[in-house]
Amino acid sequence: MAKAVLQGIAVSTGIAVGKCFFLNRGPGSVRHVTVAADKVESEAIRLVEAVEAVAASFAGARELLDDSAGGIQVEVLDSHLLICRDPKLSGEALKRVREQRMSAEWALEETVSSIAETFSRIVSPYIRERMEDVRLVADRIIRHLSGDASAQSTGNERGILLAHDLSPGDAIGLNPERIFSFATEQGGKTSHTGILARSLRIPALVGVTGLCDSLRGGELLIVDALKGRLLVEPDEAELAEYLQVQEQYAAYDMRIRKLAARPAETLDGQRIAVLANVESAAEAGTVLKSGGEGVGLVRTEFGYITRATLPDEEELYNEYRAMAEALAPGKVTFRTLDVGAEKVFSGRVVPDEANPALGLRAIRYCIRHQDIFRTQLRAVLRASAHGNVSLMFPLISGVGELRLAKSILNEAKQELAAGRIPFDREMPVGIMVELPSAVLMADDLAREVDFFSIGTNDLIQYSLGVDRGNRHVAHMHQPLHPAIVRAIKQVVDMAHREGISVSVCGEMAADPYCLPILLGMPVDELSLAPQSIPAIKHLIRHSDADKCRQLLSHALGAPTIRSISNMVRQLLYQCFPEDVSFFVSQQSMDA
Amino acid sequence: MTEDKVSGAEPGKGEGAEKTVFIQDELGLHARPAAKLAQAAQRFSSQITLEYEDMTVDAKSILDILSLAAGRGASLTIRCKGEDADLAAEQLERLFIMPPDMEQRAGNS
Repeated sequence: MAKAVLQGIAVSTGIAVGKCFFLNRGPGSVRHVTVAADKVESEAIRLVEAVEAVAASFAGARELLDDSAGGIQVEVLDSHLLICRDPKLSGEALKRVREQRMSAEWALEETVSSIAETFSRIVSPYIRERMEDVRLVADRIIRHLSGDASAQSTGNERGILLAHDLSPGDAIGLNPERIFSFATEQGGKTSHTGILARSLRIPALVGVTGLCDSLRGGELLIVDALKGRLLVEPDEAELAEYLQVQEQYAAYDMRIRKLAARPAETLDGQRIAVLANVESAAEAGTVLKSGGEGVGLVRTEFGYITRATLPDEEELYNEYRAMAEALAPGKVTFRTLDVGAEKVFSGRVVPDEANPALGLRAIRYCIRHQDIFRTQLRAVLRASAHGNVSLMFPLISGVGELRLAKSILNEAKQELAAGRIPFDREMPVGIMVELPSAVLMADDLAREVDFFSIGTNDLIQYSLGVDRGNRHVAHMHQPLHPAIVRAIKQVVDMAHREGISVSVCGEMAADPYCLPILLGMPVDELSLAPQSIPAIKHLIRHSDADKCRQLLSHALGAPTIRSISNMVRQLLYQCFPEDVSFFVSQQSMDA
Repeated sequence: MTEDKVSGAEPGKGEGAEKTVFIQDELGLHARPAAKLAQAAQRFSSQITLEYEDMTVDAKSILDILSLAAGRGASLTIRCKGEDADLAAEQLERLFIMPPDMEQRAGNS
């Protein structure tokens, strides 16, 4: 038995075995020491030197970035550098050392809490969030002061990298060839760590509770980024087992990737389009390499969130056009800005709402802020002249709202036509089906658009009334709930009756345990994270559509999650006895 | 766009200059312009402060600038004191003047 097993979230799949080392451990406890009067000046020098050393490390990382990386990382490092040398931070801390004879660490800690107090009174959450940067910088200085050797990690260690959290700056100093895997205590599915690990194709876990407390560094670990857990000091049997799984997974992964370009057609000849969900044009190459036939969902909000000012039409157009051109003749489906809830983008602040998920978000926000909406619509329309572009509106609740959005789109088209600016007049326009009201109105909505795209994450949240971010109820967020299966079936039937196609673009599309249900509907298109495409295409090619239809007809009569889940499991074990162990499912199978 | 209040240098306190500027960026004085302002201010030896409503802060500190949380339309006074005060005031003022294409965009919205 392993000494301990820690649970985490797998953000990049695979298995890694190796010794671990810490890059950083997060904020440690700071000793509160009063410095002797004759030592005050040397304590002050110690602080100044630490500040300069950390500033130099930011500046160094910043220099490395200039050529290769994008603007956001440069901006982050620039602001870290400014904060590091800020008179309010280092200056005030120095004053506390000299005037109150505090140790350097203590002085910094006190300074950070007084800055935090000032910031806590600021209404704008965007500015308030900068406090995180202050903490990160101060934490680095404190670690440097306390001589934490790991803070000066050269990145030359071989093995599994552990960290409290990874900042873009941290990640740049690392040598990816020597790192088999990542695990961090902080972070969620979309954190920087995950994006980095996926681009390096190494297994990674984030959100590993207890990581920094229960590990010292140097232990032998197994990172199981299939099941989302970390085994500390495994015994020989576990080691042997995992080495075997690792080998099998590597072989499996290589096999399915080799075949990723082949079309997704079931054994009995049913064709289904498999596309990718992306956030930026930079991912186009990954989409093609993974076997994506196009992009079923561009989350355009990432072009807004990762920056401080609103992008203008030209910028958006260039980004969208690059994407359309890179993937042509493949389709690229732009979802209009889906912001709101508590999210802040481009420094604009969405008002505090008691119930953000039910508040001014997505299409509602765009209809309220039509200047932003029009700029984006014009950019998408202009890009449509350069490839196979589609557009969809998120969170549509009914026909009236859809018509309003479409009338704004038509005005944008007229403006462009009047200015003789080219765009695709036949550009398909669709909606995201995410609200129960849209499910109920699917027949009327289908007559007004060219396609549906079912956003399963939100559809589940709104249909089952479950906030997946709330740990007390997260386990109830179940894609195989009978209500969800029936809702999707209704949407697919209504759409097909009106002759339009249906795509599924939530996490369900990447979940092997949901695939037979979706194939049975049958949906026309799946859109998922590029790294999951090879596996899903492989499964489709080895599925029997007829069996899936039979399964679905039973599932539609089933009253519980468990009964549907058992049916699916049975089918998968029967058809894919060898693949099942490599599946990563979003749903808990014990429900 | 800006008003000059050329203040007479107070005796014994070096040169002084001040400018009143308005924030035109629709997002207010957020992280990026705050960083630019602090970086620019740090290049001068003068003591430079920003006044907004009843607050006065150090223009060389990004944390101070952010703590103003000044929104679009806010009027700020840049006050410089020191040898390069005139140059500092003039150059910092420029950061608040929008390039023409931005103005056009602001006008369109």
